[in-house]
Amino acid sequence: MLMMSRRQGETILIGDDIEIVIAHIGRSRVKVGIRAPRRVQVVAQEVKLVGDENRAAAQAPSAEVLQLILAQLRPGPHTLRPRPDEESVRQDAGTKN
Amino acid sequence: MPLAETTNFGTIFFSPESVFEFPHGLPGFEDRRRFLPVQNPRTAPILFLQSLEEPSLCFTTLPILVVDPQYQLRIVEQDLEALEFPVDLQPRIGEDVLCLAVLSLRKTGTTANLLAPVVVNLKNYKAVQAVSQESGYSHQHFLFPQEEPVC
Repeated sequence: MLMMSRRQGETILIGDDIEIVIAHIGRSRVKVGIRAPRRVQVVAQEVKLVGDENRAAAQAPSAEVLQLILAQLRPGPHTLRPRPDEESVRQDAGTKN
Repeated sequence: MPLAETTNFGTIFFSPESVFEFPHGLPGFEDRRRFLPVQNPRTAPILFLQSLEEPSLCFTTLPILVVDPQYQLRIVEQDLEALEFPVDLQPRIGEDVLCLAVLSLRKTGTTANLLAPVVVNLKNYKAVQAVSQESGYSHQHFLFPQEEPVC
């Protein structure tokens, strides 16, 4: 991987039409400005991961698979209460097969 | 009362107030904005998010605290704005927001996306999938660790 040191306000050019500006350097983050043609997709790596994951997750499972998940979550009361009985949920999920 | 055609649940009636609105869609589905929460008592606490724009699009989710009772929610400014929250305060799960982990069913086991929970403002039902950068959470957290393949 090519490594370059840049100061705030300085720019990196990639090819003829991609420009990357180090807009701001904070304590633990940098703000980067990117100018690229429309055909080039620019996205944070996490967002790409989540998009791929969403596409894989985008179908409802069969009734059998659902029952399998539920069987592993049970026994124990599960509701949409804000804070479920934390210990029992953890144990159920971890020990029931 | 409006009707929705769905692949998984057939034709369903719903009340417009119960629709979750994702102003920016979800990663990978940026143009899908309206989802209906569907819960079947027989499969609770699983909550399905059924797209109202694409009949076959349905996510399977669990309340994130069922997956990880210690889950720490951290929402970036941009997402707080989309949810119409003030940007200087983190909302609380259960009190301010509903927080859901999207499940993936893979051959090696069921995984939950803890990197990017679906967060719904309980007051206005605005929703985002909040990618929590720097959180260290996995987008493929195994629901049942014993299912992990032994290599």
